[in-house]
Amino acid sequence: MAAAKREGSIYQTGIPPEWVNYQAIFNLWQQDYGIPINGTATEGEYSSGQELDSIKNTGKPDVGDVGIAFAVQAKQQGLSAPYKNSHWADIPDTAKDADGYWCCNYWGAQAFAINTDAVKIPINDWNDLLDPSLKSAVGIDGDPTKANDSFFAVWSAALANGGGVDNIGPGVDFMNKLYQSGNLTAARASDANIIAGEVKVAIKWDYLGLAVRDKANGSPNIKVTIPATGSLASPYADIVAAKAPHPNAARLWQELIYSDAAQLLFLGGYAHPIRYASLNAAGKIPADLAAKLPPSNLYTKVQLVTDITKITAAQTALAAAWKIVVNAS
Amino acid sequence: MSSMKAARPTGKPTAAGSRGGLAVLALLPFAALVGLFLLLPTASLIWGSVHNGRTGQFTIANYSYLAHPLDLVPFANSVELSLASTALGGVVGLLIAQAIVSSRQPVVQEIATTFSSVAANFAGVPLAFAFIATLGANGLLTRVLLGAGVDLYSNGFKLYSVLGLTIVYAYWEIPLMVLVMLPPLQAMKPAWREAAEILGASRWRYLRAVAIPILATPVISSLLLLYANAFGAYATAYGLTTGFVSLVPIEISNLVSGDINFDPGQADALAIGLAAIMAVCIGGRALLERRSARWLAR
Repeated sequence: MAAAKREGSIYQTGIPPEWVNYQAIFNLWQQDYGIPINGTATEGEYSSGQELDSIKNTGKPDVGDVGIAFAVQAKQQGLSAPYKNSHWADIPDTAKDADGYWCCNYWGAQAFAINTDAVKIPINDWNDLLDPSLKSAVGIDGDPTKANDSFFAVWSAALANGGGVDNIGPGVDFMNKLYQSGNLTAARASDANIIAGEVKVAIKWDYLGLAVRDKANGSPNIKVTIPATGSLASPYADIVAAKAPHPNAARLWQELIYSDAAQLLFLGGYAHPIRYASLNAAGKIPADLAAKLPPSNLYTKVQLVTDITKITAAQTALAAAWKIVVNAS
Repeated sequence: MSSMKAARPTGKPTAAGSRGGLAVLALLPFAALVGLFLLLPTASLIWGSVHNGRTGQFTIANYSYLAHPLDLVPFANSVELSLASTALGGVVGLLIAQAIVSSRQPVVQEIATTFSSVAANFAGVPLAFAFIATLGANGLLTRVLLGAGVDLYSNGFKLYSVLGLTIVYAYWEIPLMVLVMLPPLQAMKPAWREAAEILGASRWRYLRAVAIPILATPVISSLLLLYANAFGAYATAYGLTTGFVSLVPIEISNLVSGDINFDPGQADALAIGLAAIMAVCIGGRALLERRSARWLAR
């Protein structure tokens, strides 16, 4: 820590203050260590690909927050350095690189955001969406061949229908059935369409669903739940740049974000921290925060997807199959 | 319309000789524009469409969509949507334009022209959301009709369909038709009708022998413009249907911007298909316009 302070600053890429409660984590960092945080405003908004470019080309960043596929790519390209934080044992094996080149920090899981003013039947699982009363009511967040959110919605639907991480096919079949039944609407599950009541059951990331629930503020009432047979979660990961100008500060940042305090701040921003299960088991999640989230027992069936070869395989399978859903009807 | 004036025969042979060099010089900026923004991109499209987007090798595989019925669905949807919205926009727009001209009120014409210019350019996601809020499954009009006993969505209507898109497209096709038809309708001289009446022609006879032959060409060329306009539209359709109604422009966008389907060669081949249909439309319009310009010259 003293070494980190001597370095004088830390440079971050792709870590904007408004994303997953990072502002509160910045405040915590300032309070505990008082080391200035750099990283231009635009770099906070970088996509994962741009972050890697910044690490490769400018050599400035110490740490970056990237989508899982890019964390794997960073290791392959020699852009990240190994570091195992002190909570390493607490983190599931699938969520960290065995050699410490990346470690997942938080994730989002596919959830149902239900307009309870319009939908009167209970919706607990995927097959409840087929109820005849839900005509033109169910929506996904974009074209699944383009948008990650709806791609994971289709993939998650496979879990309840005999498929899984290794087989997206049944998820496509389910969505096709939902579309043919007239329940799946083409209207996108965007905030505007959810609040307008055009999409009454939105399938999207839990943190986005919870955010739109708060935004709607009772008009309409929105309940966010995780399907009973489970859904898939996509994590983000933190990497330490291989040529970090402030290597000690970069490692101190790792210690901070995997600490109980920062992990709970992620949860306050509705992103489930990677140590969620152990924090929950240890009873460390405050009751008022837990009350704002779907029940923790529903999250036990959520599967974290970190194997990028499986992601690529599912994307390829979907690209071919989705054309049939759309064009053959 | 400025394009009509441009189509009017201008320089007579006598003047052309001395000003020839200057005229060619004056044409340069236009030639550069056409070259850079029309010919060059077209050439690059054609080249790209016969090469593999990843390996760069020559191939005609990009055109394999022509042999797959499922891959032709976007073309069928695009043609159906464009024809339907052209018909709707054309008929309603023509009637409105005639009503505006018949009103003989400069204020009405001014307001109508201004409104049409604005409406003809209102498109994309904002327009899509405006229609969702009006005619969506939970839209205002849908609920009002439901209250009156008409359940649109139970009777097979969906805003997110070719029919729904036709209605949305008509929102800008109608004002576009008004805009392009006002000048030819205004150019119809009252003297022609008076002359016909003095010679004893009935109203129908005047329409058949004078008005329709003169107006046929501007109407048809306007319809072609509307058709091409609908055929190339993208943002509104995607904003409304999230890709569930596949159209050629949406397919092209999937192929060039998607991480998953990335195949620029095939996108080029689809674009050539689109361009071929568009070229027929615009070429036809230019030919017809040349004919009517003679009559409408003041």
